[in-house]
This record gives sequence, structure tokens and C-alpha cells, in this order.
Amino acid sequence: MIKKITQAFKMAFKSIFSNKVRMVLTMLGIIIGITSVIVMVSVVQGQNKALKEYYESMGTNQINVYAWQGSGRDITMKLYDYCLGLDDLVLGVTPNGYAWSQNGIKYRTLSTNNNQEYGSPQISLGSDQFSVCNNFTIAKGRDISWLDVKNYKQVVVLGSKVAEYLFQYKNPIGETVNIGNYPFTVIGVYEAKGGSSDTSSLFGGYDIYGYMNYIAVVPYTVNRLLNGNQPIEQFTVKAASKEATNEVITKLDGFLSGLIDNKNGYYYIYSANQAIESSDAQNRMMSLVLGGIAGISLLVGGIGIMNIMLVTVSERTREIGIRKAIGGSRKSIILQFLIEAAVICLMGGLVGLMLGYAGTLIAGKLLLKTTLLPSVPLSLGAMGFSVLLGMIFGLYPAIKASGLQPVEALRAD
Amino acid sequence: MKLIELYDVYKIYNEGYENEVRALDGVSLTIDRGEFVAIIGASGSGKSTLMNILGCLDVPTYGDYYLDGEYVGDLTDRQLSRIRNREIGFVFQGFNLISALNAYENVELPLIYLGVGASKRYGMTMAALERVGLEDRAEHKPSEMSGGQQQRVAIARAIATGANMIMADEPTGALDSKTGRQVLEILHGLNRDGTTIILITHDSQIAATANRIIRISDGRIIYDGAREAAGL
Repeated sequence: MIKKITQAFKMAFKSIFSNKVRMVLTMLGIIIGITSVIVMVSVVQGQNKALKEYYESMGTNQINVYAWQGSGRDITMKLYDYCLGLDDLVLGVTPNGYAWSQNGIKYRTLSTNNNQEYGSPQISLGSDQFSVCNNFTIAKGRDISWLDVKNYKQVVVLGSKVAEYLFQYKNPIGETVNIGNYPFTVIGVYEAKGGSSDTSSLFGGYDIYGYMNYIAVVPYTVNRLLNGNQPIEQFTVKAASKEATNEVITKLDGFLSGLIDNKNGYYYIYSANQAIESSDAQNRMMSLVLGGIAGISLLVGGIGIMNIMLVTVSERTREIGIRKAIGGSRKSIILQFLIEAAVICLMGGLVGLMLGYAGTLIAGKLLLKTTLLPSVPLSLGAMGFSVLLGMIFGLYPAIKASGLQPVEALRAD
Repeated sequence: MKLIELYDVYKIYNEGYENEVRALDGVSLTIDRGEFVAIIGASGSGKSTLMNILGCLDVPTYGDYYLDGEYVGDLTDRQLSRIRNREIGFVFQGFNLISALNAYENVELPLIYLGVGASKRYGMTMAALERVGLEDRAEHKPSEMSGGQQQRVAIARAIATGANMIMADEPTGALDSKTGRQVLEILHGLNRDGTTIILITHDSQIAATANRIIRISDGRIIYDGAREAAGL
């Protein structure tokens, strides 16, 4: 049996290569189909991966809370205490407020005593748990401590880009930076953040990782100094796990509804997990839609194969008659034509795979600024599918060929 | 020993309609092993239909056909293709070689269908080509050979699997008389070695080389007997 199949393969190659132009034209549909499936699905998968990396760098299991009690009252301490009371469910809690420009003072400008100035960084007001909540790690010096917060210390931890810009190669620890007119002592520098791909295409030209490195964090208790009577309204709570996230959201909801009067204030709880899930679902949808479009082109390619195989059968009726006269059985004729169709599709699939790899590399470089390659299951799936397509669309012509009466087939011109 | 037994065989096209054609109209005959039989008749007399039925390429409308004692009507497609492969070799007027394959590959084809291993196949293919004197043309495509050479390749293909019966339908019809004689000589040589030859022709000179003549007209046998009495 194996011998017969290898023989059938040899015959298939012989008859395919006897008409090269037709072979290439027949394969074209499959080539285009496989190439587009591979490129489209790979780009969507690559984009999904980049998005996931971004969310992970921000920190998973993050819960964002927007709350305003009205009449300028600050809920930071209450929320802080409540969250710490949740023990195992919560890893950390921090305000996530910013310093705004006020009264004409440029609070959003950092400067050193050497008059090195850095405009519009993000100056965040954080607790001692800011880095836990936002997935920052300390590269140099130390993090903000509870005592810094408690004692209204004018200290600052700088993002890597800010430190680099203000101090170049000098050690910034212990140096002074001015936020507006207020001097702050640099106590630490964060590790640089970044993913494997450039996300600017995902966020409207925004270099999101760069943005996260242009940060300066100060104890939230200096809020009154920088923002006056404006209370902090934005908080981040880091849950211990994916499962804990939902539980914490429920608890926070209960806590805040008791604390905030709907008439005077508002609150809103939002989890990044939901964003990840919805972007996952969106990407799956995208893959399906694009894969479907590419699948249709494959189907058209398959019909092209069937068309050509039918033409081949009627062209080769005499040959089929001869083969039957010298001992070819129905089965061997079916096998021959089926293998011919499968081999055409397989070769088309291989060419499509190569073009798909090239296309994915180019699209990855252009769109995501990264080295993107199709996944192995995708490649194997596309190959398997193209062979299957050949078998399915080759079956009818093969059966038609094998059903010819030898004497009638021999009579054909 | 009887190789072929045909009892009251009919081949009727469009039976029951106005344009009914009786290609074979009640044919009975037996052929023994090792015979050299010529079936002669005008064109349209039914001789090719008879050959197709004898060669298991076509099935009779009515009647019984026993090949080597086996009732052909009961055989499956697989068994029939096995018989065409091993027992019967065909030689056609138009050669019927596969044009994309060279001489060697054409002769090799029935051996592939038989399932002979590659190493053994080479020897058998070359032996068949040597038998017709074309071992040095093995690499040639049909289009690169003369008609006589092509017909000899067809004969080599017919004997490659060791078939003990050859059906030749106007084998010299497309050849000039000299190469026609060469082809005929090869068939006689095979017959001397024990192969049964059934030769179909309208040419009485060709038929005259056979020992037994069957004359057909309008689908019926009108003469079956020795050459000498056939008046050829």
C-alpha cells in the first residue's frame, strides 16, 4: 500500500510538472489564501500580545477607583485604612492623583538647581504602595516610605527617563528637584519600563512605555502644597489575585456607597482585568473576521482547483482509459487524481507559507516595530487545511475520472 | 484447454428504441490456450465490440462469458482490473501510449499497478523492451519514436506482466506494410512461446497469417474455422 502511494505521488508530480503554467495559475488561489490567512492572523495575534504586555506592565489585578465626596473632603485615609483591613485580598492601595498647574505656578515643570528644566512630566501623588500597585521597581535609592507620607516629606522618586534627562550620568540620589517653587529631595529612581514591541500604533502614536518612564512620584500628603484644596479623586487598589479582584470590587462598592452621598459626590470602580478580557474578546473577534475573509479566498482557491481538475479529467479521459485497460483499478485512479489535487494544494500552501512568513515579518516591522513571526500551530494548521482543501475539491473530479468505462474512455480523442 | 468461452452473447445499444443497434447478435465461440486467432470483418461488423468484451473492457448486454473457467459477469471492478493487468495484454491501432511518459515508464506502468517492487520492476521492464528490440529507446517519449516503434512499445507493455493472452485491435492499421510485418512477426514469436493471440483486422493478408479465422458480419459469426478453408 505504501509502495502504491509513493508511486501515486511520483505520477502526480510528473503530471503536475508537465504543465507548469497551469500549475502556477491553479496554485495562485491557494497561495493568496494561505498568505493572507497567515499574515492577518499573525498581525492580530502580535497586536494582542503587545496589548497584553502593556496591561501586564501596568500591573494585572489593578482596580481603579474614582471617588469624590463633595465639598473638598479627602477620602484618601479612609480608603487606605479600609483596604489595609482587607488583609489577604489586597496587595496595596495608593492615590493616583496628579499635580496640576495652579495660580500661574508651573507645577508641572521639574527643574534642578543647575537650571536643567524638564517640562510636563506626570507628577503623581502616591502612597508607600504606589510601586506595588503600578508594577514599578526601584533601580536606585529607595522607595517612598510610610514615614515620608505621614510626615509630609518633600521627597520624590523619578522615572528613568526623567532622571536621565535631568541628571544625565550623575547620581541623582540626594539631589534637589524643584516642582514649581517647592524643593524636593530625590530619594530613588525607578527601573525603566518597556515591552518587546512599540505600542505607539495601538495608542494613536503614543509611546505608552515612554510615558510611564516620564514620571515623578511624591508622597500624596504634599497634595495640599501642590493642588491646594483640591482633594485626590483617583486611586489604585491592587488585588492579590484575579479571583480576589471581583471580591475586592464588591467590597469597595459597599464601602464607598456607605461613605459617599450620591447627591453631593460620586464614585466609579473600574478594573483593568475587564479591559484585558474585553480586548481579548475583541481580538478573538478580529481574528475570526479576518480569518473568515481569508478563509473565503481559500474556498475560492479550492473551487479553482476543482475546476482545473475537472478540465484535467476530461482532457485525460483517454489516458484514464489506457490506465484502466492495463490494470488500473477504480481505487488507483481515484488515488492518483486525489493525490494530484492534494500535491497542488500542498505546494501552493508551502509557497503561501513562505510568503506569509515574509509578509508577517514586514507587517510586524511596519505596524508593531517588532520581529513578528507566525505561530507554529497557525503554520501547521494552514498547511493541513490546504491539503484538506485539495482532497475535498479533488474528490469529485477523481470519482468522475474513476467511474469512466474503459472502452468509452479509450474512444475519446 | 479452453481459455475463452462465449455463449450467446449480445451487445445491444438503445435496446427497444427505433435506433436500436445490435453490435453483437448472438455470438458463441471458444478459444483454446496457445491459439492464434484472427477475427475479420468489415468496419462496423462488431469485431471491435467483440474484442472489448473478450478483453473485459466492456460488458455484454446478454450472454455468458467464461475466462479461464471463471464467469466474468460476477467479477468486481478490482478483479476485472486485476485480469486486465495480469492475464490480458492490449495492442491498439492508435498505440495508446501515455504521451507524457517515456517508453520505459509506459512499459513499467502495468507493473506498478501489479505492485511489483522497484528493483524487480526494472528487470521486467527491460526484458519486455528487449523482447521487442527497443531496449536502447527506453528514454524516448512516444512523440520521439516512429509508429512501428511505438507499436512495439505497446506490445512490450502488453507482455510486461507476463500476460498469456494478447488482444490486438488492428495493430498494423496505422503502419506501413514493412513495419506492419515486423509487428506481426513479434506477435507470431510470442505465440510460438505459448501466448494466445487474438488479432482483429479487416486486412485479409494480415489475417492469413493466423491459424484460425473467425469472420463476423452484422454482429454474427458467419465463418469459424481453419485458415485454409476460409478462402484466404
